[in-house]
Amino acid sequence: MFLPETEVLITRSRPKPRVPGALLAVPAIVIVAFVVVGGSAMVTAQSLGLMPLVGRPELSTAAYTAHGGDLLVGGGLSLAIAGTSTLLACLIGFMAALIMMQGRWCGKLVAAMSSLSIPLPHIVGAAATGLLLADSGLLARVFGTAERWPPLVGGPWWAAVIFEYAWKESAFVGLVLAGTLATRSVDYEETAALLGAGRLGRLRHVLLPLSLPALMTSGTIAFIYSFGSYEVAWLLGRPYPEPLPVMALRLYNSVTLTSRPEAAAVAVVTAAVSLCAVLMALAFLRKIPLWR
Amino acid sequence: MAVTLPPGLPREALRKDAARNGLTRSRAAGRILRTATAAALAVWFVLPLVPLGLWVFADRWSYPAPLPQHWGLENVDSALSRGAATGFAGSLALGLAVSALATPLGVLAARSLAFHPSRWSALFSALLFAPLALPAFVTVFGLNVLLVRLQVPSSAGVVLVLTAYALPYTTYVMRLAFGAHDLGFEEEACTLGATRGQVFLRVQLPLIAPALARAAFLAFLVGWSDYLVTVLIGGGSLVTVPLLVASAAAGTGNDGIVAVLSLIALAPPLALLLFAGMTGRRRPGARP
Amino acid sequence: MKSPRAVGSRALIMAAVTGVLFLSSCAAPPPAPAQPPGAASWEQITSEAKGQTVKLWMYGGDTQGNAYVDEHLIPAAAKEGVTLERVPVADTKDALNRVLTEKQSGTTAGQVDLVWVNGDNFGTGKEAGAWACGWTSLLPNMSLTDPADPLLSEDFGTPVEGCEAPWSKAQFTIAYNSAAVPDPPKTLAGLLDWVKAHPGRFTYPAPPDFTGSVFTREVLYSVSGGYAKVRLAFDQGAFDRLTPALLTELQDLKPSLWREGSTYPKSSSELNALYAGGQVDFTMTYGPAELTKLVTEGTYPATTKVLTLEEGTVGNASFLAIPSTSGHRSAAMVVANLALSEEQQAQKADPAIWGQFPVLNPGALSPEGRALFDHLPSSPVVPGYEVLSKNANPELAAAWVPALDEAWRRHVLAGN
Repeated sequence: MFLPETEVLITRSRPKPRVPGALLAVPAIVIVAFVVVGGSAMVTAQSLGLMPLVGRPELSTAAYTAHGGDLLVGGGLSLAIAGTSTLLACLIGFMAALIMMQGRWCGKLVAAMSSLSIPLPHIVGAAATGLLLADSGLLARVFGTAERWPPLVGGPWWAAVIFEYAWKESAFVGLVLAGTLATRSVDYEETAALLGAGRLGRLRHVLLPLSLPALMTSGTIAFIYSFGSYEVAWLLGRPYPEPLPVMALRLYNSVTLTSRPEAAAVAVVTAAVSLCAVLMALAFLRKIPLWR
Repeated sequence: MAVTLPPGLPREALRKDAARNGLTRSRAAGRILRTATAAALAVWFVLPLVPLGLWVFADRWSYPAPLPQHWGLENVDSALSRGAATGFAGSLALGLAVSALATPLGVLAARSLAFHPSRWSALFSALLFAPLALPAFVTVFGLNVLLVRLQVPSSAGVVLVLTAYALPYTTYVMRLAFGAHDLGFEEEACTLGATRGQVFLRVQLPLIAPALARAAFLAFLVGWSDYLVTVLIGGGSLVTVPLLVASAAAGTGNDGIVAVLSLIALAPPLALLLFAGMTGRRRPGARP
Repeated sequence: MKSPRAVGSRALIMAAVTGVLFLSSCAAPPPAPAQPPGAASWEQITSEAKGQTVKLWMYGGDTQGNAYVDEHLIPAAAKEGVTLERVPVADTKDALNRVLTEKQSGTTAGQVDLVWVNGDNFGTGKEAGAWACGWTSLLPNMSLTDPADPLLSEDFGTPVEGCEAPWSKAQFTIAYNSAAVPDPPKTLAGLLDWVKAHPGRFTYPAPPDFTGSVFTREVLYSVSGGYAKVRLAFDQGAFDRLTPALLTELQDLKPSLWREGSTYPKSSSELNALYAGGQVDFTMTYGPAELTKLVTEGTYPATTKVLTLEEGTVGNASFLAIPSTSGHRSAAMVVANLALSEEQQAQKADPAIWGQFPVLNPGALSPEGRALFDHLPSSPVVPGYEVLSKNANPELAAAWVPALDEAWRRHVLAGN
C-alpha cells in the first residue's frame, strides 16, 4: 500500500533496485509496530476494563483510581530512583570517558573494567549488589560492623537499587561517551591546546560541549531503562512504597481477579511518564548546536 | 582519493600523534590525579563482582566470617544439577536468535533511513526508536494476551518482542555507519560491471563489517540479559540463565549457586568482547 | 500531500480503533466447569499418556525440592513412558498467571500441564475455571490416602472436588537460635511478649508473601482466643469483627521489630537471610524440611531449634493440579498418580532428599510401603510430623487470605 508514493522517491542515478528503497524498513517496522502499537493498545484496553478475566467488559476508569495515592507515591519514588542513578551514572561515566580517551594503561584499565559490567544481566547485577551491600554482605563482614551497618539493601533511601543502576549505567554512559569523544575530540583539543587553553578550559569549552549530545542520549536511555525496570527494585528494594514497575508486577501476579486491570493502569501511567521524559530530552537536544 | 572514515573506525594513528607531539600531555600533578581517578573508577566497576568471585568457590561461608571457611566446587555441582547447562543453552539460543533477526532487519531499516528519505521516514524513525521509550513490562502486559490468542508459540513470542527491543540499537548503529558510507563506491563497482552479489560481498560488506559486528553484539545482549519478557511471555517454555538466577535468589542459602550462575552469564559476552578486542576492532557500544 | 506527522497519527488512531474493535470480542468466556476427560479407564489413560511431555510448574527456590523431582520423579515418570519437565518459577503465582492468560485467550494446548499449588492460588484458579476437575478419583493410588482426612478434602476452605491430587503435607514452623534465646516462649502470645522485651530481634515477611501471610493468620488465631473462635469460611462480618484486634496487635509490635518496623523483609527468603546473618533470632517456614539442610550446610547457626507452641500451628497440604488449558491431561494424571505412590512419597519424606511430610494414610499402606517409611532416618533439627502437627490448626478459607493481606498492607505497612 506504500508503493505509489515511494516509487517516485527512488534515486534515478542508480541502477533500479528490485525493491523500492524506503520499503527496506518495512520488515523491521512491522515487528516494532506489532509490539509497540499492539502492546500499548491491549494494555490500555485492559486498564479500561475492556478485557476482564471474568465477567462482562465494561468501560471504566476504576483501575486508575483504585490505588490513586500509591500510584502518585510510587511514581515519585520511581522518578527519584531513576533520576538519582542517572545523574550518578552520567557523572561517573563522563569521568570514566575522560580517563579512557587518554589511552595509556590507566585508560585501558578503566575501559576493560567497565566493559566487564556491560554484558551482565541486571538481575545478576542486582544479586551481586546484594551479596556486596546487604546487612550480611561482603562489606559488612569485612568491616565487621554488622550492628551499625547502614540499611543499604531494603533501606529507606533505596541505596542498593540506586547503586546497581548507577554502576551498570555509568559503564554504558562511559563507553558511549568514549566512543564519541575518540572520534571527534582529538583535533579540537589539540587546536584548543595550541591556542593556549588550560586543562579546565579544554574541559569546559571543548570536551563538555562535544559530549553533551551523547551524554543526553545515553542518559535518557539509562533513565527510561531504570524507570521502567523491575528486577533490581524487586530484589534490593523494600515492600513499601513501591516503584511503579514493582507495583504493576505485584498487581499483575496478585491472585485477586480484579487486579489485572489495576496492573495495566499502573503500566499505562509508567509508559506515559517515560514518553514525557523522552519528549523533554528530545526538545532539549534540539537546542544543542552539535546535535545532528 | 578522499575517503570518509565511518565514525566507528579507530583513529589510533591520530591519537598516537597527539600524544607524541606533547601538546595534550599533562603535568605531574595531573598525572597523579588521573591515576587516582582511574584506580577509583576501576574499583567502582569491579567491586560488585568481588563477592561473586568469592561465593563461587565457597562451600561454606557462615556469617560473620569475612572469608569462606571451606573452599571447593560444590556450588558448581549444585548449579549444574539445577539445570545451568540447559539455561546456558537457552540463553545462547535466545541471544543468537534475536541477533540473527534484529541485525539484518536493522541493516535494511538503516539503509532505508539513510539512502531513501521519504515522507514516511519520520514516522519510521519514531516507530523504530519507540521501544526505547516504552518499558518492556508495559508492552508485555498487553502482548501476552494477544500472543496466546494468536497461538504464537511462546518461545517465538519472546524472540519477537526482544527483536523489537533490539531493533532500535541495531538500526542506530547501522544508521551511523551508513551516514559515513559513500554510495560512490557501490556505484563505481556497478559501473565497472560488478554483479549485485559482488557489490555486496566486495564493497558493501567490508565497509559496514565493524558496525555490523557491533550491532549483532548489542542485539545478542538484549536477548542474553532479558528476564521479564522471558518469564512473562515465555511462560517457562524457555529457561535462561537470568530465570535460574531469579529462582535461585528467591530461595535461601543459594548464594553460591547464584554466584556460579552469574559467572556463567558473564562468560560468553566477555569472550566475544575479548575476541573483538584481540582482533583490533573498537569496543562495541552497549546497552544500559 | 499530507505531512508524515499527520499520516503517523492517523495510522496510530486507526491501529488503536482496530485494536479496540478486536478486543470487544475478547471478553473472557465465563468459567465453565472443566470436564473430566471422558469416562476413561485407567488403562486408557496410561496408554494415552505414553510419549507425552508434561511440564510441571513449581516454585524453584527450594534446592532439595528441585533435586527430588529431577533425580527421583522424572526418572520414574520416564519408566511410565512420560517425559516430565520441571519448570522452575520464582512464585507459584507465575504459573497461575500463565494459566489465566491462556484461559483469557481460550487456548487448549497450554504450556502448563501440572502445578504444585494450594491455598488462595488454588481457590482463585478454581473460581476462574483454571483447573481440570473430577479426575483424582481415577488415580489408583488415591486409595492409599484417607478419604476422611480434612486436610485433603478441603484446601484452605476450598472444596478440592477432584481438581487437584494431594502431594505433601506441611506444618507452619517457627525456628529460633537457642544460643540467643535460652528460654524460648511456649505460646504465640508469649512470642509476641518476647519480641516486645527484645526490640529489634524479630520480624516477619511482608504479606502477600506466603509465609508472612501465614504468620498474620497465626496472630489472628492468637488474639481471637484460638482458632475455634474464628469462622473458617470467610464472611465480611467476622472479618470486620476480628481484624481490628489483629491490626492493633501488629501495630503495637512494630516498634519492637527489626529496624523498628519501618520496613519488613519482602519474602521469607529475605527473613531467612536475616536469620542466617544473625540480625534476628527467629525465622519461620511452611517447609520445615529445609531447616535440616540449612543447618548442615552452615547457612543457619548450629544452635537452631524448632519452637513448639502449646496451641499448635497451622498445617496444610499441597497438591498437584492440572490446568484446564493443558493438552496433556492423561500424562499429567499418570505423574500425579506416580507422585502418590508409596516409593515416591517415602523418597520425598527422606530428610536427606527433601523431607516433605507424606499425605498417605499409614493404615492403608502395604507391608512393603510401611517398611519404607519405618526405615527413614530422622532429622537432628526437625522433630517428626507427629510432634509438629500436634494440635494442628486448620487454615482459614482462601478468601480470608487476600483480604487480610490487603488490610495488613493498608494499615500496618503503609499506615504510620
